[in-house]
Amino acid sequence: MNDAETPGLESRLITTGVERLALLGRHAEALMQGYANDQVPLEGLSHTALRKLLSARIVWRPDEQGGLKLTPKVRELIAEMVSDEARRHVNADVAEALELIRSLIQSYRDSSSRGDYWQQEQQLLRLRQAVDDMNGRFADAIDSLWQRLNSDFGFVSQLNDKVRENDRAQKQVVRLLDGLALIDFDELIELVGSDGTLRKVLISQLQQQLSQHYTSLREVQHRLIELMARFRHMQARSRLVSGMAAFLREHPGFTPGNYARRSDVPALFNHAAPLTAAGAVALDRAQDIPTLSALIKAIPTPLRAAQSVTSARPAEHVEDTLIAARQQALKDDVETFYLNVVDRAEQTPISALDYLNQSELQWPPEIWLFQVIAEHQGLPHSEQRAFHLHQQEERASAYNDVKLIRDVSLGLAV
Amino acid sequence: MSDMSLLPHGPLLERLLAGEFICAVSDESAFKRLQDDATREAIDSYLRPLNRRVASSQEEGVYFLAWRQLDDSARDQLARQLGDTVNSLLPLLEWLQLVQEALGRDSVLSPGDVLKPGELQAKSEDNPSLRERIERLATDSFFGSQSDQLDAQVKQVFKRLREHGYLLQPHADRQVFLVTGKVDYLLELVRFIRDEEHLPVDDEGEDTQEALL
Repeated sequence: MNDAETPGLESRLITTGVERLALLGRHAEALMQGYANDQVPLEGLSHTALRKLLSARIVWRPDEQGGLKLTPKVRELIAEMVSDEARRHVNADVAEALELIRSLIQSYRDSSSRGDYWQQEQQLLRLRQAVDDMNGRFADAIDSLWQRLNSDFGFVSQLNDKVRENDRAQKQVVRLLDGLALIDFDELIELVGSDGTLRKVLISQLQQQLSQHYTSLREVQHRLIELMARFRHMQARSRLVSGMAAFLREHPGFTPGNYARRSDVPALFNHAAPLTAAGAVALDRAQDIPTLSALIKAIPTPLRAAQSVTSARPAEHVEDTLIAARQQALKDDVETFYLNVVDRAEQTPISALDYLNQSELQWPPEIWLFQVIAEHQGLPHSEQRAFHLHQQEERASAYNDVKLIRDVSLGLAV
Repeated sequence: MSDMSLLPHGPLLERLLAGEFICAVSDESAFKRLQDDATREAIDSYLRPLNRRVASSQEEGVYFLAWRQLDDSARDQLARQLGDTVNSLLPLLEWLQLVQEALGRDSVLSPGDVLKPGELQAKSEDNPSLRERIERLATDSFFGSQSDQLDAQVKQVFKRLREHGYLLQPHADRQVFLVTGKVDYLLELVRFIRDEEHLPVDDEGEDTQEALL
């Protein structure tokens, strides 16, 4: 038969494979540019190199005028190698893989019954690979799903995109679970029959692996749904904030109903007024005295500069209207006295006490004098100079040098 | 009634009475204690003569004191408070939006989020539109900044938010703030007002956010 040919074919495949895989490495930079951008740059690629890349189906031209692009498989390979979750492809097509496995089992059993052991070995190898592929497909998909979950879909920045990505991932999980459901072990058991090798590959190993995948997928699904709820919650908050802010901007005079007056005040708005639990020093318990005195001693001495007496002001007491009115009347009378001095023909000074006596004013002399002096001091400088105020003073007693003002006389200064 | 001792809850009672909102961020241990029915009942019966009881937000993210009996003076106080709340809504919502956009965040601030005024300031320094929005916000009567300096405006905004219990500053000398559960309470109020007044504000469906802006 083809005993001699087949190893030759194998070795030719291997040589070509090695050559073509090397192409990936040799043109890695150009290919990665093709991955990152839309096209593989032609600069730096020789004519031969381009021909080799095309025949290895690493790149292709979608149309004659168009640029050079990566083939989907290479793009997937790169996405898988760099865990680029935005482009990683989840292949959930189990039906086709199962079909392949079924036909390989058939071929294996045919070779077995013919006693063609070499062929049988080859079929077993391909069968193992097919099972591994199917298994690996689930493993890759689950890995990709976990990567996306653990990064909170960090490969997209907008929340809306995250929601969409999560939705897509959930659909993938459903397809993968549907795919798992297609694998019918009763059918496989029947196909395998009594062959121990096949039983090991197809039943015991696969069953164990698939049940692990099933558990993982259920867990992923659960987590995706949870995360989706969180995303939706976040979306709702953002929309509520921006929507309400927009509404309030448009309706500056908006007032909601007065919820406080309702018979049933909404619980959210029932926030009681604050109360301060105040306390003060109390000396009515003997056992507290040492503590309190220690506290008082511990009070730092305030760093306050001593106040000089001159800068101290008399305490302002509240004037009631009656006193204010009397004060005003006194002031008015003194002003009349001043006007009298100005209006008089004679220029001789006039005694304030004489004036008080002559007019029928009832002011006590001391207060009268005080106000006359105060009025003079309250005048602006220019007007002050127009008057001459003479104070008649005398010593308090023979032994006391304090001068007492007995009377003042006011005249115009000429 | 539970006869459990309230002795260990003294400081908590004082904070509640002072009108504070207790959440997992502002005081984790107190918050956990308030989640216990027996503790809440004990505090409630203690507060009975003061006409107050422990209340929580709908999602139980914050606890605070509510009036037990709504007499006239309580209603007056609530009406005044409602007025203040309504007046503070727009500045608060605008601030939430501003922070979300300025810091490029996915979502509105949530309890436990960390905020640094310096970061917000740095993002705004080279962004005239952001600067202008901060200025407008800071000089709003709710925040009440008098300054025309960006750093002072940002500082004032954070200060007011801390005073109102929306932010917590764990270390007085460090400009790092934590968002408290009161933000969630605020959003619950907003949602309530929206539903109650049938306002055309949607928080579901696709991409209405862009449409509203």
